Amino acid sequence: MKKIIRFLRSMQFGMILLVLVIACSVAGSLIVQQREPMEYVNRYGEGAARVILALQLNDVFSSVYFLVLMAALCLNLTLCSIVRLPRTVKATAQLLSRAESAPVEHELAPQQVEKVSTYLKQNHYRLREKDGRKIYVKNLIGFYGSFFTHLSFLLILVVGALAVVTATVTDQTVMPGETLTLDDDTTITVESFQIEDDTGLLDYASKIVMRSADGMKEAAREIRVNEPMSFEGYKVYQQTYGTAGSVEIHNLVNGASEVMHLTESCFLTLDGVDGLFFQALYPGYVKAEDGTVTLITSTSGAYSDPVYDVLSVAEGSMSPVLAFPGETLTIGDVSFTFLEPTSYPGLRIKHVSTAVLGALYAVFALMVAGLYLCFFMVPTAVAVTENGYTIVSPKPSTGLIIGLNACLEEEET
Amino acid sequence: MEILFFASIVGYFAATVLQAAGVTLRKDALCRVARIIFALSFVLHTGFTIWRGVAAGRIPLANQFEFASGFAWSAAIMGLVLYARLKQEWVLMASMPVAFLVLSYAAFQPMEIKELMPALRSTWFALHIGSATFSYAAFAISGGLGVHYLLQLKKGHAEKESRMVQTDYMIYRLICLGFLLLTVVILSGAIWAEQAWSRWWSWDPKETWALITWILYAIFLHQRIRMKWQGKRMAWFAIIAVICVLFTFAGVNKLLPGLHSYAV
Repeated sequence: MKKIIRFLRSMQFGMILLVLVIACSVAGSLIVQQREPMEYVNRYGEGAARVILALQLNDVFSSVYFLVLMAALCLNLTLCSIVRLPRTVKATAQLLSRAESAPVEHELAPQQVEKVSTYLKQNHYRLREKDGRKIYVKNLIGFYGSFFTHLSFLLILVVGALAVVTATVTDQTVMPGETLTLDDDTTITVESFQIEDDTGLLDYASKIVMRSADGMKEAAREIRVNEPMSFEGYKVYQQTYGTAGSVEIHNLVNGASEVMHLTESCFLTLDGVDGLFFQALYPGYVKAEDGTVTLITSTSGAYSDPVYDVLSVAEGSMSPVLAFPGETLTIGDVSFTFLEPTSYPGLRIKHVSTAVLGALYAVFALMVAGLYLCFFMVPTAVAVTENGYTIVSPKPSTGLIIGLNACLEEEET
Repeated sequence: MEILFFASIVGYFAATVLQAAGVTLRKDALCRVARIIFALSFVLHTGFTIWRGVAAGRIPLANQFEFASGFAWSAAIMGLVLYARLKQEWVLMASMPVAFLVLSYAAFQPMEIKELMPALRSTWFALHIGSATFSYAAFAISGGLGVHYLLQLKKGHAEKESRMVQTDYMIYRLICLGFLLLTVVILSGAIWAEQAWSRWWSWDPKETWALITWILYAIFLHQRIRMKWQGKRMAWFAIIAVICVLFTFAGVNKLLPGLHSYAV
């Protein structure tokens, strides 16, 4: 059992896992992910597609083996962190104790010893004296670097998974002026949406107002890509946009009228027989000399000359109509006035725990701090006696040796 | 102002050739001229970068051309700073060709200034992409030093010679710096992705290859501790890993389209 645990927490096991993560990642980046099975057959051929699907290479990062790999990595990091902590705590005392008893490694003349002491002081080494031996120490906090790095890697995996699992995400399109009510009765009102700003620069900005379920809290903000709105545990993102046709429907009998937004094919009718069948909205058209109209299907986003492609359904017959904004079409007792198209935002609404979010930011910072301590704060003790000096450090002190040699060579010159 | 850009390429090339000649022929005068040309080219390159930033009204790191130019600039400044501290010619032997080659690559990319697309207008832009240029530069110089180290070994220098130990140590330190910066790139990218797209991680090819590069260097750093990978092995690793860095930098954009495709 001990042997198994020793292997599970070993660096060797960690390295094997990392190599496997690389292998999975390479496969996941070279093979297109999460597509329909037929696409793999078309792309790679039937035999290869069969292998890809059998090995779950079509969805590597959600596959069972990849999740097992991640779990094993977490286990390895947990065990190695547990083992590392007591060692880390004891490391400072051990380093000083070794420095106190270490024999002189670099013998020097007395004036050179003085030079070494001066060099160490200039390089911010702190002096501790014990039994007549001068011990210069630096970067003792660096001992915690490796522990912080491994711990933060573990926490990134765990808290990151928690952030994904606990978040609920929904995508909604909301027309300007409309209000969306969420499950807990929090409301989101889109006051306006613009694709371009006043200078003509692409902007994709939505002015939204959020109200809490009890109506006590309210916040308004203009959201954009990179500028989501946070409100009571919700984050609202400007995710996509679209353009809908708009038509004003007027009942000629009772005088009632209503504006409707047309995002997909639909049949607008009062009696279920006669009415307007909306097929599509086109951003523009080209009119030839003979009067024929060619519709533009470009999806650049701009609707410079919008055209409504509709069918007029009356008295059992259908006739295709190309309608332009401002035009009115009367079918039976109803008139349809085509308006300028309306651009609308696609919002992503995420409910996420702010504690999890904060924890994730904290572990990110911990990882950067850990790596900095690990690489750039190498704990070092230099025991200086009247005969010379000895460097004690858990890592090669090449930099210090280079510096000391340069300093001593300078003196000789 | 593009003349500054092309003048920088010519300057970096001249500096590389003169430095190689100076080291090979052991002519200090040639090395000194190479250093002056390199520093002047760096000034021109800096001038071009500032002009481009002013003309674009933003930090000039928004597409493949600008990123490559930033990468070369980072390599040049790293080389100059390291030389100023260490006074060792071999530092420039690695950074000069990196600056020249990467800037030459930039010359083949579309150079026109485009407006920053909405997805890139973020406070994380400078940190995420700026760290990437320095990270890649550190890895590329470590690779260059790896080549230099192997050439020195071939010439008969022993691994234990002080100069060789220094080179080996510098490769290691540059990898440490690059690794720390790559971590900043990945983490700031995750925060930015959450701000923009609501997801921390999408397994987009660029993200995936940045992670592969990160893991590759993490494995190496562990092996250096566990297996005492130093000297020749370290040099070979530094060279091979740069291929992965270059694929993440340029290959992914060309071959594996994804969320980062605007970086082309």
